[in-house]
Amino acid sequence: MSSETAPTSGVMPHILVVDDDRETRELLARFLERHRFRVTAVRDSREARRVWPLGHFHLIILDLMLPGESGLEFARWLRGFSDVPIVMLTAMGEQTDRIVGLELGADDYVPKPFNPRELLARMRAVLRRVGEPAEARAEASPRTLRFSGWTLDLARRRLLNPDAVEVPLTGGEYDLLVALVERANRVLTRDMLLDLLRGRQAGPFDRAIDVAVSRLRRKLDDNGRQSQLIKTVRGGGYVLAADVERA
Amino acid sequence: MVLLIGLGLVQIAGLTIHALDRMDVQRMAQTRDAAVRVISMYRSVVLAPRERQAAVVAEFDLRDGATVWLSDLPIAEPLPVMDPAAQRQFRGAMLLVPVPVEQRPREFVLRGGADAEHIAVALRLPEGSKWLNATLEMPPPRPWHSQNFFSAFMMMTVTAAVLTLWAVRRLIAPVATLAAAAEALGRNVNAPPLPETGPLEIATAARAFNTMAGRIRRFVLDRTFMLTAIGHDLRTPITRLKLRAEFLEDDELRAKMLADLDEVEAMVASILSFGRDVAADEPVTPVDLPELARTVLDETADAQPDFAERLSYSGPDHLTVRVHSLAMKRALSNLVQNALAYGGNACVRLVPPEAGQLILVIEDDGPGIPAIELERVFQPFHRVENSRNRETGGSGLGLPIARNILRAHGGDVKLINREGGGMRATVILPV
Repeated sequence: MSSETAPTSGVMPHILVVDDDRETRELLARFLERHRFRVTAVRDSREARRVWPLGHFHLIILDLMLPGESGLEFARWLRGFSDVPIVMLTAMGEQTDRIVGLELGADDYVPKPFNPRELLARMRAVLRRVGEPAEARAEASPRTLRFSGWTLDLARRRLLNPDAVEVPLTGGEYDLLVALVERANRVLTRDMLLDLLRGRQAGPFDRAIDVAVSRLRRKLDDNGRQSQLIKTVRGGGYVLAADVERA
Repeated sequence: MVLLIGLGLVQIAGLTIHALDRMDVQRMAQTRDAAVRVISMYRSVVLAPRERQAAVVAEFDLRDGATVWLSDLPIAEPLPVMDPAAQRQFRGAMLLVPVPVEQRPREFVLRGGADAEHIAVALRLPEGSKWLNATLEMPPPRPWHSQNFFSAFMMMTVTAAVLTLWAVRRLIAPVATLAAAAEALGRNVNAPPLPETGPLEIATAARAFNTMAGRIRRFVLDRTFMLTAIGHDLRTPITRLKLRAEFLEDDELRAKMLADLDEVEAMVASILSFGRDVAADEPVTPVDLPELARTVLDETADAQPDFAERLSYSGPDHLTVRVHSLAMKRALSNLVQNALAYGGNACVRLVPPEAGQLILVIEDDGPGIPAIELERVFQPFHRVENSRNRETGGSGLGLPIARNILRAHGGDVKLINREGGGMRATVILPV
């Protein structure tokens, strides 16, 4: 229904916001435009289907609770022909929604009510991932990642040790580990890692990354004298040295 | 128990009646026996020629310590005169002995009897003034003297006891089932219903119980539904407010507003999780408990870096338990938050499992709380008097949620004031 368009610019990503609350929609559009996005906002999946062919969208922010056709059904329809990144807005703590959403190929989810800045950070991270080489994207949305006997269950956000026992991780540690595993054997720069942890930590980010990495090493039993799994790259960042199996 | 005592009393009474009856019968038999012997001796003496009488008396084949003699006087000493009732009985017994009328004694004296162990009888012979005296042993009656008696009695007692026990068990069993069902309902509102079978009263009780359980279940469901609805309805305004806050030019005001909104959100989230059924939400999976505890502490430290130095864990490095992972994390997190809010620090200590359960303690060095509050703080929305907790933003649900979750795991959590200050939350978890 309402659609707002920022001044056209080739470098500004175009975002489609699907949310049934008019106020939220308009506020979110204004907020994102402030942060240099172009925004089209619609109230339900019927309108979303209508506007989809009209613009070239870089990312969709999709509320799962929509009147009429649900966000999940819309995502399923969309995945039929497009791999545009989807960030889902889920109800607080509704695990099933999130799991189904991720299985359907959502790139990330943010529980509602969300922190606008956290949403922004997630969007940027997702967009950056899209900008990476095609093969990383093509293999996107696996359900599990296996490395050195360890398993990352992406749907449930769990890390399982070789005996299939869950080793709990904090939210930041999990995001960090997923980033490292998804780009195994490639160096992750500090900037990328900072994006991941932004909005989660209250303390200084630089230190937070080092702390999170050292905790991860402990949890992965990788804290010997010379860490074998997560290696520190001098001056650059970190790299996960392992072969990753996607399923 | 009461029934068994009653049964015992009835047995004793029965036994007494039996014994008295048996004594009477024995006495009667002895009396009749004695009467027959006396009459037959008298008859023998009477029928004998006078000069042969002394010889006949001497020839009697006496047993059982009986004595017989002829004398001029009836026996007197040392036995007392027989009491009238016993005399009547003995006379009656003598009359029953079938002998011709002329051979019956006309006059006799009876002594002894009753409790004495023998009786004496003196009978006047028809012609002359001679008396035939006889003493007869009367052994005391032996009411228990029967080979079959003891075994029969024991058999009866045992049978009665077994039957009573069986009947009582049968009557009590449904009551025990009912108690177990009520207990199960207390722990899990979705416990299976009672079978509505058995005797009429029991079936009625079971039906009433099931109806009650159904009402409670509906009530809990309604509550859960209401809480979830509230949570969902609050999402939209909170989201809007957070977005609006982003447009505030005043950085400090914005930060404070966002912090307030986070607090509101946390409260709504805790209400939601209080209303939610732990077991229905996620499956039971193996989890490394020490790492879970450390993760909780790490997340707390990340959120409140000022407290990072006052959080510690001690215990084994790895220990696998089967729990609802997210729920257990929330329970531990709430306990750590509580320690931090009241005591300013939190030491988590894990005691390795022993006898099928493990113990996890969360201690702080705060002032503790009055003993009377130790249980009350587990009631939803309860606040300790003079609580400073308000400023730390507790929802009043942290501890109740923690206890709900732990009880859903078959464990529990209790608070105590430590000797020497501080609080200790003790978590017990079956493994």
